Amino acid sequence: MTGSVEVLKPGLETCVQDYPGRKGAFGMGFPPSGPLDAWSFRLANILVGNAAGAAALECQFIGPALKFTASAVVSVCGGDMAAKLDGAPVALWQSIAVNAGQALELGSALTGARTYLAIAGVDTPPFLGSRSTFVLGECGGLDGAALKVGGEIPVGVGNGAPGRKVIEKCRPAISQNHRWQIEVCAGPNDDWIDAAGQKRFLESEWKLSPKSNRVGFRLEGPEWTFTDKATNKAPENGSDPSNTIDHGYPIGAINLCGQTPIILLHDTLTLGGFINPFTVPSCAFWKLGQSRPGDIYDFELVSVAEAQARKRAINALCGEDSIEAA
Amino acid sequence: MKFEPAKFLPGGDHFMLVQFGDDASIDLNFMALGLTAALKAAALPGVVDTNPSYNSLVVEYESDDISYADLQTQLERLIGGLGSVEELELDSRLAYLPVMYLDPWTRECVADYSEKITRRGDDPDFVARENGLEDAKQLARVHSGTEHWVVAVCSTPGLPLMRALDPRCALTSPKYNPPRTWTTLGAIGVGGLSTSIYTTPGPGGYNLIGRTPVPLWDPRQRHPIFKHRVVLLDAADRVKFVPIGEEEFGYIEARVADGSYEFNITAYQRFSVGAYKKWVASLNADGRF
Repeated sequence: MTGSVEVLKPGLETCVQDYPGRKGAFGMGFPPSGPLDAWSFRLANILVGNAAGAAALECQFIGPALKFTASAVVSVCGGDMAAKLDGAPVALWQSIAVNAGQALELGSALTGARTYLAIAGVDTPPFLGSRSTFVLGECGGLDGAALKVGGEIPVGVGNGAPGRKVIEKCRPAISQNHRWQIEVCAGPNDDWIDAAGQKRFLESEWKLSPKSNRVGFRLEGPEWTFTDKATNKAPENGSDPSNTIDHGYPIGAINLCGQTPIILLHDTLTLGGFINPFTVPSCAFWKLGQSRPGDIYDFELVSVAEAQARKRAINALCGEDSIEAA
Repeated sequence: MKFEPAKFLPGGDHFMLVQFGDDASIDLNFMALGLTAALKAAALPGVVDTNPSYNSLVVEYESDDISYADLQTQLERLIGGLGSVEELELDSRLAYLPVMYLDPWTRECVADYSEKITRRGDDPDFVARENGLEDAKQLARVHSGTEHWVVAVCSTPGLPLMRALDPRCALTSPKYNPPRTWTTLGAIGVGGLSTSIYTTPGPGGYNLIGRTPVPLWDPRQRHPIFKHRVVLLDAADRVKFVPIGEEEFGYIEARVADGSYEFNITAYQRFSVGAYKKWVASLNADGRF
C-alpha cells in the first residue's frame, strides 16, 4: 500500500537522506549530502527490508514526532533519542510494526547525536539522482528542506518485517565518555605544515565547537605552524599562510581557515581558497556523525590503504549477515 | 610554476588531488579541464566524479573498483594523451548574460556591510582605483569588454568561477575581510583574479559591481531551460556580460518570473587553446577599453 507520514513535531533539522547521496555533481557545485553516520543509517534500512542506501530520516540532536496514516515497519538506529510509540518505549536497532494512526516520538539524544529512522519505502522525489536533502541548496528531501510541522512524507510500498534486530557486535559503538579516536590521512596539503605543527595536530586534543553543522565541524585546539611553502608563495595565493589558489575540497578535508581547522562534511562548499593538510577518511565519518559539541577528538594517522581497509570492514557489516531475530 | 610531471596527492580514502602547477596561469586550468573531458570520455571503472579548479583537479574514486596506484597510472596515461596545452580543444558554449552595472541592490548590500561590519565605500569605485581605471563607468566598460572563461562551477550550486579571456580586461582586487554575511542574489562579484555570480544569498568575499536578473540554476526546474539541466553553465563555457539599465532589468526579471525569458546561449563550439594563445600574444596587454 502507499500512504504518508505526518510531521507532528519536526525535531532539530530532521532531513530525508539517502546513501551515498548526490554523487557525480561536484561539477555543478553540489556536495554529496547523505547521512553522516552511514553505518547506523544502512543498518536501519536493512532492518526494515529497504535497500541499504534507501531514503530514510536523519534526526539531529532532537528527534521528530510523526503520525502514521497507514501501517508501516520502522526501525530506529544510532544515537538513543528515547523513541516512544504512543508513549511506549521502542528498542533501538530493531524493526517494529507501527499501526495506522499511531505516533512515533523521538526526544533529545541521550547518547550520540544522530538517530536514523528508517521507514519501509520513503518516496520523496529524487533530484540529480538522489533523495538526500541539501538544505543550503534548497533541493532534495521533502521540498528541499528539513521537516516542518504539518509536512507529509510520502511512503510507497515496503516489504519489511518486524521482529528483526542488529547483532550487537555489528553495531557502531557510540562513545559514552565524549572522546573519539578519529582516523586521518596525511594530505593533500600536509607539506604546508611544518613537522612540529603536524606533530602538534596529531598529539593534541581537539574540541568540537558549537559552531558546527553538516557543512563543517569547527575544531578548537592549539596553534598551527607552517613551512616555507605557506609563508613564501606567489601573491595570487592570498596573504594568510593558510590561503592557496582556489582548489576543489575533498569531503572530510581538515580545512584550515587561518588558525581554525574545519572538517568539511557532506553539505560543504565544494571549492575554496584554504589548504587541507589532513583528510578524515570515510571510515571515521560515523564517529563525526555521533559526536556533539564539546566532545574531544584524538586524531590517529593512518595510511590511505589502511583507511580503505577499515571502510571495507564497516561496509561488510552493513548487510543481512548483521541481522538476527529479535 | 607548471609541474612536469603533474603531482598526485591523496585526500583521504576516496579522493585524489591532481596538481598541474602552483600558480594561476590559465594554461593550468585548460589542462585540468582537458583531463576532466578525457576522464569523462574514458569512463574508467571506479572514477566517481571530478572537481576542477584553477590549477588542479580533484578526482573522486571508489577504492573497491580502482586502487590509488592504478588510478594514478591511468591519470598519467590520460595526461600524456592530452599533449601540449596548445593542442587542447575544449567543448565550450558562449552565454550572453544581461547585467546592470553599478546597480542599486548590490550597493545596498555593500552599504549594509559598511554599517554593520566594517566601514567601506562603494565597491565599483574601489575596484576601479585598485586597477588604475578612471572611474566605475570605465570599470563596467572593461568588465563587459571580454568573454569570461568559466574555470569551474563550484562552491554553491551553479556558481561560475570565471576569469577574463582578454588580458586587457583582467582585473585584480583584494577580497572582503571579514566576509559579508549575506549577498544579493545574482550579484556580480570580482575578487582576486576572478569574477563570480552569486547563486545563493549566502556569505561572500568578492567586491560587488553589478547584478544579473538571469538565474544560473533552479532547484525547482521551473523554466524550460532547467528541465534537462539543473545549472546553466559548465566549466569551459564562456560568459559575455551585456550591460543593461534598470528598466530593462525589470523587464527581464518579469520574463524570467513568468517563464518566457529566452536564454541566449550558443551551441557547443571547439575552443582552441592554441588559437587563443596566439591571439593573446598579438595583443597590447597593457591596453584598456
